[in-house]
Parts: sequence; C-alpha cells; structure tokens
Amino acid sequence: MRIEARNLDKHFRSVHAVKDLSFTVEPGRVTGFLGPNGSGKSTTMRLMLGLDSGGGETLYDGKKLSSHYPVTRTIGAHLDAKFFHPKRTAYSHLRMLGAEAGISKARVHEVLKLVGLESVAKKRPGGFSLGMGQRLGLAGAILADPQVLMLDEPANGLDPQSIQWLRDFLKHYASTGKSVLVSSHLLSEMELLADDVVVIARGNLIAAESMPAFLSRATGSAVVVRSPQSEKLAELLSAQGIASTTDGARTIVIPGQTTDRIGEIAFTNGIALSELSPRTASLEQVFLELTESGQEYRLGETS
Amino acid sequence: MIANLVYEWRRLWSVRATWIMTFVYLVITGLLGAGPLFLGDGEFGAQTWQGLYSTNANFLCLVMLSVVASQFFGHEYRYGTIRLTLTEFPKRERVLLAKTILLAVFVTIATFLGWAVLGVIGSIAPEGSIGTEGPGFSVNGGEPSELWQVLLFSFAYCLIAMSLTMITRNLALGIVLPLLTFSVIEGLIQLFANLANGKMDWIVDILPFVNGNAWLTNLPDSPNAGLIFAGWVVGLYLIGSAVFFKRDA
Repeated sequence: MRIEARNLDKHFRSVHAVKDLSFTVEPGRVTGFLGPNGSGKSTTMRLMLGLDSGGGETLYDGKKLSSHYPVTRTIGAHLDAKFFHPKRTAYSHLRMLGAEAGISKARVHEVLKLVGLESVAKKRPGGFSLGMGQRLGLAGAILADPQVLMLDEPANGLDPQSIQWLRDFLKHYASTGKSVLVSSHLLSEMELLADDVVVIARGNLIAAESMPAFLSRATGSAVVVRSPQSEKLAELLSAQGIASTTDGARTIVIPGQTTDRIGEIAFTNGIALSELSPRTASLEQVFLELTESGQEYRLGETS
Repeated sequence: MIANLVYEWRRLWSVRATWIMTFVYLVITGLLGAGPLFLGDGEFGAQTWQGLYSTNANFLCLVMLSVVASQFFGHEYRYGTIRLTLTEFPKRERVLLAKTILLAVFVTIATFLGWAVLGVIGSIAPEGSIGTEGPGFSVNGGEPSELWQVLLFSFAYCLIAMSLTMITRNLALGIVLPLLTFSVIEGLIQLFANLANGKMDWIVDILPFVNGNAWLTNLPDSPNAGLIFAGWVVGLYLIGSAVFFKRDA
C-alpha cells in the first residue's frame, strides 16, 4: 500500500512544528524517518494517523484512513512503548485491540509468541521493562497483519538480539509487499534497515529519497585507489582536472568521483591497481551534515 | 459499530478496577439498604419495597459508579491508549457513541445488580420491617424514587463524571468535581443564599444537583427540577464531546 503524505502542517501555538511536509512511502520497502530531537517526526506520524488536527492530508492507496475497513488490517501503528493500561494483561490488551478486525484468540497467542512475550501473556504490563513494552506495542501493531506498519522509535530499549530480530522482521515484512515507515535515532541500525529515507529538521523536509541517493549527498564520498604507480596516476588525474590526495604509501583518495571513471582512466593509461574502492559516507555523517542547522535543541560544546 | 462496542466492552471489563468498583458499589448499596431495616428499629419511618429499591440512587453509591464512568476516558488519556483507540477507530463520533452506550449498559447492569442485592436484603429483613402501605422511607431524603428514576439518575450522574473527564482529561477531576459539587459546593452556595436574604435564590434554583435531587425525590415544589438537571447533563456532555472531537489525541 502506497502512503502519500501531502502538505502536512502543524502549529502548536507559536511553534510551527511541521511545515508543509510532503513525501511518499512505497510498498515493499522500509522507509526510515529521521530527524533530530524535536524535529517533528512523532507529530508527523500523529498527523498521518489523524490523531492530531492540522493542515494537509495523508492518503493510503489514494483514500483517507477512515475510508478503509477494517482499519487495523490497513495500518498498524506503534507510537510509544508505554501505551497500555498497566493493570490490563498483555493478552487482554491484544484481545481488546483485535476487536475491530475480529482477531482470534489463537492469533493473539501467535503474535505474543512471535514477539517473545508468551510467558508473560497473563501478566500485567505495569512491571514490564522498556524493551518488553516495545515488544507489546509491536505485537499490537502487527496483530491484524496490516498493509502498513508505522513505528516510532521501536528499537529504543531493545537489546542487541532484539534489535537484530526487529531488523530482520521488518525487512521480511516489507519484502511481502507491505509498507514500513519507521523512525529511529539509531542511525547505524537505520542504515542497515531502510531502503528509503525521509529526513526532516525543524519541521522542514530535508530529503525524501532512496538510501543510496541520500548517502551520495555527502561531501565525504570518494574513491580510494592503491597502486604501485599511485604518483603517476595522481599526475594523470591532475592533468584531467581531477584532484586527489595521498593517504599513506601508494594510496590516493579521489573525492567526488566514481570507481568506474577512475578505473577507466587507469586502464586506458596502463596503470596497475591493487585496490579500487568507493568510500561512501555513513548515514550518520550525511545526517549530521544535512541537519546540523536544523537541530531544535542544540547541545553545548564539549571541552 | 459492533466492533466499537466489542472494543469498549473488552476495555471496560479487562481491568480489575471495574470489578472492584462494581463490588464496592454493591456492598455500599447493601449496607445502606440493610442499615435502617436491621438497625433502625423503625426510627427512620416505615419502609416499603419502593423505598428500599431507591437506595442505590444514593450519592455514596453513585460515587462508586462515577469512578468507572470517569475511567471510560480517564484511563485512555492517562495511559495514552486513546491513541490506540483512535488509530483503530478514526471516526471519533463512533468512539464517543460506543463509550456512551457502554456506560449506559454498565450503569444498567450495576443498578439491576444493586436491586438484586436489595431484594435479597429485603427478603431476609426482620418480619414486618417492610410494609406495603405508602411510598416508604428513602435514604436519599424526600419521597422514594420510581425504579426508572433511580436508573436514569444513576446514568445522568455517571454521564456528568464522564463529560467532566472528557473536558479536563483528568480521571481524578472527573470523580472529584461532581462529588464536591454534590456534597460541599452546592451546600455552601445554599448557605450563602440564605444569608443573602433571597438575593441569591436564582443561583440555587439552577444548581445541578439541587435540582437533580429534587427531581429524584419527587419534591412537589420543584416542577422544573428535572429539566434543569437534564440541561446540565446535556450541556456538559455536549461540551465534552466538542472537546473530544476537536483536541489532539
């Protein structure tokens, strides 16, 4: 199911939290939703779900969410790890959430088993850890096997094994043709997980594109070449107006170029190469570069 | 709509507080009904079945029901589950309608259970303590209420509690505000009105629970009491609904 967010806009009194935001979430792909603290990610998700009132609209396969029935087979949302009554058992919580789609008891047990909460199904979640709360929230979201999953920071509080499980699960979920929109501060995790990214800062859209396209925006992208004739290659490149820097013996770094182009030049001039590899910036580097000026709550300098 | 009702039913009965408050309501109803029959020695006046069955419209009983009524929205906002509810059911008017219907169902069940308890108490009461002559004695003061009045007043009181919770988004205020108004504030206003030599009588005439109680206990000199009380109930419900529809979840 394709999600189309159109001109989402939200004011909190004098604060313009979300500014005319438009982007799409494609089916069969995991879309990472990134932004600094206070950038408007959660507000945007609430707008998309119709929980907050504001400008713009969000269409799910061309229709508003309220036009779909059952809604829980259309979208499953997990917005906070503590959205449950502390005295309502995990099982009862899911039974309640399964009312709209007529979810069976067997399916509730199946989902509890899937997220690893089967042994505490009859326990009250008031004493759950943050990670267990996340699992219960995720269980609620996937209960009706919806076409769209919308998850706000689902990896917070999870241990490494659970994070890996979540990554595999979401990738598999998207691979069945469903849409996954997931926000996270764990950029290294998002780099492994997301096919597309939507990046916002101070409520403004910074980027909405595929992960490779986003990473290629970094000023730090370069080609690394190791060759016994590295000096000669550097001279040839220089003659063609391509700048390079040496990086240790026999190694040069050529910013802003592709391996195809450099390989072709080396081959044409009969230069043997020991290594030809791209050096792409990490998601964290690109994210920091692009959102540096858009941080809502700036940190102080460390000495 | 059926799904909304199933959701609300499961939400209501899957927390222990609902069961506990219902149980406490029944215990208090039983004690209030039994007290004059077993301990009063006739000093409260002659009792009849109608008088006995009007016991659970007493303020102490209604406070217990209002706790559950406040939880219809209070728990949702307190624990953030309103966002789960409104994601599952984006049409808020249906959510409100389902909650209102379930509140009516809950109050009806509790009231009938209360009458069942009172029926048992009446049947084991000392012989001769319940008569058939006249309307009988009411723990609410005034004349004993008809059964439909008990049911309607209980629902109205709970609707006020739920409406105040919708407006304030605060579980405690939904319980405490009607309780304080009923038990303290209106009494103080009446006291000041008496001291003001009739200049403040118009305020007393429009107080919600003064009128509600007048209607409940069939006071003959308050012909419009029922309408004024209904005005308060409907007014608060409409304000609460507007707030629920308009505010961010």
